[in-house]
Amino acid sequence: MGGVPASVRYPDHVAAGGNQPPAAELENPIASDSATVADGSRIFSMMNCDGCHGGGATGWVGPSLVDGRWRYGGTDGALFQSIFYGRPRGMPAYGGIMSPGAIWKVIDYIRAQPIPSVVPTQRWTSPETPRRPGRAQTP
Amino acid sequence: MRIAFVILLLLLQGTPARDDGQWTMPAKNNAATRYSGLSQITPANARRLHPVWNFSTGVLGGHEGQPLVVGSTMYVVTPFPNVLYAFDLTREGYPLKWKYRPEVNPAAVGIACCDAINRGAVYADGKIIYNLLDGHTVAVDAVTGSEVWKTQIADINQGETTPMAPFVAGNRVIVGPSGGEFGIYGWAKGLDLATGKILWTAHNMGPDSLLLARPGRGRYTADANIGVSTWEGDSWRRGGAPVWGWISYDPQLDLIYFGTGNPGPYNTEQRPGENKWTNSVLARRPGNGTLVWAYQFTPHDSWDFDSNAEMILVDLVVGGRLRKVLVHFDKNGFAYTLDRATGELLVAEPFANVTWAKRINRSTGLPVVDTAKTTGASRGNVTGICPSLEGGKSPASPSSYSPRTGLFYTATNNLCMNFEATPVTRIRGTPYIGATTPYFAGPGGNMGEFIAWDAVRGRRVWGIKEKFPVWSGSVVTAGDVVFFGTLDGWFKAANARTGKELWKFKVGSGVVGAPISFRGPDGKQYIAIYAGIGGDWFLLSGDVRSDDPADVRPPADFMPDIARHTSQGGIGGDWFLLSGDVRSDDPADVRPPADFAPDLARHTSQGGVVWIFGL
Repeated sequence: MGGVPASVRYPDHVAAGGNQPPAAELENPIASDSATVADGSRIFSMMNCDGCHGGGATGWVGPSLVDGRWRYGGTDGALFQSIFYGRPRGMPAYGGIMSPGAIWKVIDYIRAQPIPSVVPTQRWTSPETPRRPGRAQTP
Repeated sequence: MRIAFVILLLLLQGTPARDDGQWTMPAKNNAATRYSGLSQITPANARRLHPVWNFSTGVLGGHEGQPLVVGSTMYVVTPFPNVLYAFDLTREGYPLKWKYRPEVNPAAVGIACCDAINRGAVYADGKIIYNLLDGHTVAVDAVTGSEVWKTQIADINQGETTPMAPFVAGNRVIVGPSGGEFGIYGWAKGLDLATGKILWTAHNMGPDSLLLARPGRGRYTADANIGVSTWEGDSWRRGGAPVWGWISYDPQLDLIYFGTGNPGPYNTEQRPGENKWTNSVLARRPGNGTLVWAYQFTPHDSWDFDSNAEMILVDLVVGGRLRKVLVHFDKNGFAYTLDRATGELLVAEPFANVTWAKRINRSTGLPVVDTAKTTGASRGNVTGICPSLEGGKSPASPSSYSPRTGLFYTATNNLCMNFEATPVTRIRGTPYIGATTPYFAGPGGNMGEFIAWDAVRGRRVWGIKEKFPVWSGSVVTAGDVVFFGTLDGWFKAANARTGKELWKFKVGSGVVGAPISFRGPDGKQYIAIYAGIGGDWFLLSGDVRSDDPADVRPPADFMPDIARHTSQGGIGGDWFLLSGDVRSDDPADVRPPADFAPDLARHTSQGGVVWIFGL
């Protein structure tokens, strides 16, 4: 399914990660809809992805997956290879533990998360700064 | 004979007649008091403290732990990739004598639950001994910087990493793993100091044969195989109980003391029973690991209340008689005073805001739990649990004790949490957690306080409230000054008797390390602390960079000596998880602030610096 090469040792490989993925670009064979996104969300939690990437994939000991920025490429194929083969700084290789179909659903789930339009640390509003008159206070 | 006894007693209490001016083990002495007998710095002159030196470690991870000072050399271990620096304190600018750059498997970074930190080294027998994140203990010649031995103690494929600081008792090096969030089978090991060979392995649960327990013999009186009978099925095999905190030692009783961490997973329904000996203090023989007694602080832990915080060994008059006690500030919000020969509970009073239990029953030793705060997958979202799983105090921020004031000094957190547990599957080498636990500030709104504690009466004596959780260790001195740092990057001195703030300095990054006090070769008293720098210099001169074991670069030809004097440079630990916006080293990872501390990144950023202050 999905043209996946089966060349990784399991399950000893899970914590190793970082096998060089093949150069071929893979395409997501599963069209994204609300059902696949919901499945992907469930799998994301069930496979302990949230243990490292945080609930909602907003980042924990592993990086945020919903900031629109990628260490290893942000195409569906690159995401698949990151999950299947792992990456060297701690991303386990899930190939053989998750089916290719499950991986594609997780990718659909990640893709469905909105990317914030504002970088969160661009500015701060100081509570000590006097508010401009006439501006409504919010509780 | 009488003289020898007196000296031993004094040493045990951390009050040698004259402090040798060194800091050779993580907590200063076997009793883990973090008390310095140096007295030049006083409440009267502390305002004259000023930085005399600093050095960036080149690593951006959380700088927990503390430096060592042995003779006229200061040793600093960085977070992953665990570079060891040796600074020459006899020369201006304290240039490096050498730096040791171990090979460390970067896959360990993904197995470390809470940032790739390291809690420091210990000096013994001419060697600097410390743990690499990837499950190895190394011993490095303290003079030459060459590796003497390296032993694999843990397996990252099982979810084990090793950021704790080893402890030396006699000719044994005692080590343990992290991995309470990865379903490990927790243990402690005793290594031969000379060779690094593993001489014993003692598990924290399972059958007595693996616990190294002999019920009915010695002082261990628990039921046979309690490490199995307090679990369902074989859930003990993946039940956690990591050993990631501090170890102390009473040479007279010949017992080492250490705390064990949380049971896994967080979803209690996957591990019915008391789950012994998770969240416990264990007293073992250092020579062969035999379990002599154990006491569990939080049976069947429902809230991730690890008990890895330090066990401070002092002699106190409790109930009218002098007792050999250990004092422990648990994540669960209670401060415990136990008889350290027998494990008998003497005092247990809350030092933080506690809602999960009403009190600790002193005769049974059990907490009186508010069952409305018990968590589990079938119980949905349980709200208003205090403290949060950061702990009333973090084990990562070790306390201190002054024999002059009789008080304990500790960082505390004033955070609460909601807790929604979910079923979880163990996949070897991946997180095994099963809970969502958002935090919020406790009563009063200040998220932290540095307090002085009377362990005889079980009450607080004074406190310094802080806006953010306090996550630093402390050192208290014979000058009656106590030092600690804040998460927003202030390093502070306070009067140990009154709690009056005497001095502060902004150290460039949040403090999650523990200060030390030492006497320099010039005879003056100094205070050292870690904080979390960076820059273009890693581009121009690759050797100032220390953050990648697979990337060790030559110096720039136009300044071949630069790496002797500076490195790239930590707020971190759990704070990198909670407040991702303090992080600046990865363009592919831009995170929002923590909802309970939305402006922390306004006050600090990641990046490690070692500071030294003097008068």
